Amino acid sequence: MRVFEAIKGRRSIRRFENRSVDKKVLQKLVEAGIWAPSGGNAQTWVFIIVTDPRRIQKIKAVSPGMLGIPSALIVVCQDKELAYEKGGEIGRDTLSIMDAAMASQNIMLRAYEERLGSCAVLSFHKKGVQTLLNLPERIVPELVICLGYPAESPKPPERKFEEICFFEEH
Amino acid sequence: MENGLERGIFELLCYMIVSARNLDQETKMYGPFRLVDAASRLIEILEESGIGDEFLSQVRSMIEANKYKVMTDKEGFVAFLDDLALKMVGRLKEAE
Repeated sequence: MRVFEAIKGRRSIRRFENRSVDKKVLQKLVEAGIWAPSGGNAQTWVFIIVTDPRRIQKIKAVSPGMLGIPSALIVVCQDKELAYEKGGEIGRDTLSIMDAAMASQNIMLRAYEERLGSCAVLSFHKKGVQTLLNLPERIVPELVICLGYPAESPKPPERKFEEICFFEEH
Repeated sequence: MENGLERGIFELLCYMIVSARNLDQETKMYGPFRLVDAASRLIEILEESGIGDEFLSQVRSMIEANKYKVMTDKEGFVAFLDDLALKMVGRLKEAE
């Protein structure tokens, strides 16, 4: 699959088939995530793969942004203590979030290549998810990526290239 | 919480409480979205417990068909909420 085909074809999916996703496929997605760039090559990310339906249901209960019933989750976290050690305040407070976002995009593109639907969710209770996943305090969940075989194919919202892209000056 | 109804209601409460917390920092239109989504989830729980009815199932179908307009068509989302509110009023009036 060509990269741009995946970039344009990926949609946020909020309805999934009731069908499990192979754990090896999920590991491949994380592998794509860790090949994303990271500020100062910090690589302070941590990924939790969740496939237990009951645990997914509990995480969903504290994640208003999670819609539909995904078959798996990849919770993209950052080790904030390590991010501070490696990158100081900007590493902990800014770069680590950007790194999590870049890794997440890689994960979602690879998911598309595997014919999986995905949706990145930020609206969740961070401490609630930390508790449900037994994460130590320094490991903070930044994004929850919902995954599963898509049961919908939403139309892409319009993009306005001419209005937002400039050469040389605004 | 072995009972499905009890668990469903508890998880809905979690959803509502976390929504209340998160909405403080989220876009304003997510307020109406979360409320109407909570209504849909409540109807689903009632259906699963065998205490739903046809009217409420229609309401849920309307919500599921229209709720994502909040992301792409704000006016359409508000118009849908108006239609839904009037549908509820019609049922209220019938019950007089």
